[in-house]
Amino acid sequence: MNRERILAALDSSRADYTEIRLETRRTTRVVYHGPRLETVSSVVNQGGIVRSLVYDGGWGVSTFNSLDDLDIRVDQAYRSARLVEGDPVTLAEVPSFEDEIEAAPDTDVSQIPLADKKELIEGYNDILLSFSKVVDTQSTYADQFVTMTYANSEGTYIVEERPLVSAHFVATARDGSNVQRAADGLSVPAGYREVLGLEDLARTVGQRAVDLLSAETVVGGVYPVICDPKLAGVFVHEAFGHLSEADFVYANPQAQEMMVLGRRFGRDILNIVDDGSLPGLRGTHPYDDEGVAMGRTELVREGVLVGRLHSRETAAKMGEEVTGNARATSYRYPPIVRMTNTFIEAGDSCFEQMISDIDLGVYACDAIGGQTALENFSFSAGYGHMIRDGQVAELVKDVVLSGNLFATLESIDAVGDDLTFSKLGTCGKGQGGLPVSTGAPHIRIQDVAMGGR
Amino acid sequence: MDLLSTLQKRTEQAEVYTIERESTTVSFEANEMKTATTEETQGVALRGVVDGKLGFTAASGQAEVSELVANLLASARYGDEVPIVFPEKTPGAEVETYDPALAQIPMARFVEIGREVVDALRSVDADAKVDVDVERSVGRFTLRNSAGNELSQQLSRFSVQMSLERVRGDDVLMVYDSVHDISLTEDYRQALERLREKVERAKRPARLGSGRMPVLFSPVGAMVLALPIMLAVDGENVQRGVSPLSDRRGEQVFDPKITLWDDPTLPGRPSSGGHDREGVPCRRKALLADGVSEGFLYDLKTAALMDTESTGNGSRSLFSPPSPSPSNLVLGEGTTPLADILGDVERGLLVDHVLGVGQGNPMSGAFSNTLGLAYVIEGGEVVGRVKNVSIAGNIYEDLREVAALSEESYWVYGQIRLPYILLPGLNVVSQG
Repeated sequence: MNRERILAALDSSRADYTEIRLETRRTTRVVYHGPRLETVSSVVNQGGIVRSLVYDGGWGVSTFNSLDDLDIRVDQAYRSARLVEGDPVTLAEVPSFEDEIEAAPDTDVSQIPLADKKELIEGYNDILLSFSKVVDTQSTYADQFVTMTYANSEGTYIVEERPLVSAHFVATARDGSNVQRAADGLSVPAGYREVLGLEDLARTVGQRAVDLLSAETVVGGVYPVICDPKLAGVFVHEAFGHLSEADFVYANPQAQEMMVLGRRFGRDILNIVDDGSLPGLRGTHPYDDEGVAMGRTELVREGVLVGRLHSRETAAKMGEEVTGNARATSYRYPPIVRMTNTFIEAGDSCFEQMISDIDLGVYACDAIGGQTALENFSFSAGYGHMIRDGQVAELVKDVVLSGNLFATLESIDAVGDDLTFSKLGTCGKGQGGLPVSTGAPHIRIQDVAMGGR
Repeated sequence: MDLLSTLQKRTEQAEVYTIERESTTVSFEANEMKTATTEETQGVALRGVVDGKLGFTAASGQAEVSELVANLLASARYGDEVPIVFPEKTPGAEVETYDPALAQIPMARFVEIGREVVDALRSVDADAKVDVDVERSVGRFTLRNSAGNELSQQLSRFSVQMSLERVRGDDVLMVYDSVHDISLTEDYRQALERLREKVERAKRPARLGSGRMPVLFSPVGAMVLALPIMLAVDGENVQRGVSPLSDRRGEQVFDPKITLWDDPTLPGRPSSGGHDREGVPCRRKALLADGVSEGFLYDLKTAALMDTESTGNGSRSLFSPPSPSPSNLVLGEGTTPLADILGDVERGLLVDHVLGVGQGNPMSGAFSNTLGLAYVIEGGEVVGRVKNVSIAGNIYEDLREVAALSEESYWVYGQIRLPYILLPGLNVVSQG
């Protein structure tokens, strides 16, 4: 849609503040399920959102697929905003930007023939199927190219191309009623080259599914645990990161007390950061979905809570600086406070030091799920190993860590020197899957409760 | 020329599915009305068979017909070789799916309902932070295929989703409930009552040791047991051979008290319907009868691959090909009043919300989860909330013996109707 029509629609708005975001999202997927090529499809998802603010009313939102009647959608959003009778909303002042961000030329996957994409993922899938006990697979190739136009009534006008290319492998191994799964892959804002040469990754996934068949369930109890970077990254996102999102805190005096800046959360070795400006990561963009520049926000510095993540609304409400963390999953949603790339900074312990004085513990690896109810969390590692006499010992399954966030953060007594960022990661807060990245080095936590039999 | 005719020239079989929908949502956050949203949806999805291979594409917005057709043919070229046959028109069950009155209700009425929910929950706990979404959606799907099937089905849906959160120091309580209907219903007041009971019970703290003990699951808590069953009866998992029930049809799998069926003919339920989204008539199906595995849920494709008939469970969202999905699952209730079940528990655990349901390896039946909300039962009474507790087990072992099912049951998340379930012994790990 041309710029003049968007600006004219913004001009027609009777609201105090109006923004329009339009998206065209082209997605191609090739999926093997077992030996069967299940899906080869390209879809086009086009739509938009108008969000209006009336200072003595609230937010009104209109989302749509038909782009013909932009003026009507603007009016609909305004009328919805009038209906709201909530607390007055103000927005933190920010500079306005005009910018056009083109994707790098090598991210144009539309030039790669569909036959090549199919052959590539078929090859990886064949590797998974070559393991005799693997009874099912799901091997997915996907590419996505989003063209996003954002404009608001304060003069910001941004067009951004957002590419994403993915390869993901799931292997299910079965032995009677014993069914085990392993999964891994990557999904990155980059070109086709990134998904080439993943044979070793596919082999690792197949082998792990088979190995888990003969692994014992970890014996329930309380252990010292070393988390690998993947699990530690997901942990910091899920268990801590969501609590530093200001929309959780601002409306709730008790939560403000719980998340008061200056509170000690961990030992001096613990540093946690959210940074949407790190090149090549899943949560990275020049601007968030309110047109605010993204950047680095320190959350925990030397064990002490020093910051939190904001939208323009929450920053104004709490009298803190904007951080550029208002993000939306798609045109169906208004932006809410979300993380970008959230990580534990590298410390100075090496893995050998961390493990050497553990007589009996668990080395928990990868994350296949997690849920938190604020202070309580529960995480499933993809797999784990027992630690015996300072050594990585036998593979174990059903490794589920649970506990209280505050106690657990305080129990982190070693932080590794090997910070690694995930190439997968989707945050499900409120609106479903938004690409994020998580990162961490290996970390050691004393006294973690482990489910099991 | 219309799209179906265009496709019929290029394919052996073709199908055109469209949706259109207008919804409005009134959202309260932290006790205050926060947003009002309108959402307009329209889109088209195509399937076609070329050389025996099935292709799929979809688009929303202003897609060009030429791009759509090209995408479908490319998809079919590499598509799935499957002996699928798009169905002719067959009469379906008589079920209301649309209430015209719902479309006429002004948004201000939804604001009133949201306000009522907020006020009711704050009266239980003045420190509560209440979120409510009240949503009304009206629309239509149409389906036409090359076998001459033509469907046009109007749909309506009214939902109230409510959650309450209370933070005191590091102590946090979160509870959630929802109701869904094709008409404006006052059932949300029953959900309010359920939430009120949870909050009241959670006010008193209690302690519990670890070990094996009787565990009573509320319908919400019982989702941790129901999810593996829902995965096991899904025809897609059966067809792939990953369902633990795939080769156990006719076998006694669970306690004879467990009976489960899918019923798309229930009045008022938004998931009910005369035909599924592939044009196949819907019907009630037994899945578990007295603990015996009786059947599975299929769409056209999984049925074709299994050499059987679709059960009318073809479900779809715009951008994905159809897949089997239950309409309204019902786990048959028992004959014992809840009060009597509780009364018989000398010392045990009442599980009212389980964290992380679905993580780990739910297909295998294994679970190992922290509890979001649980209470200690002592001398037949619920004595208070216990925290930092987790449970572990496997439904294929632990549901072989069920001590009791309550005669009370309700819909959980609009998906499945469950009673209270008492298991005689389960491993509980407590750090509290």
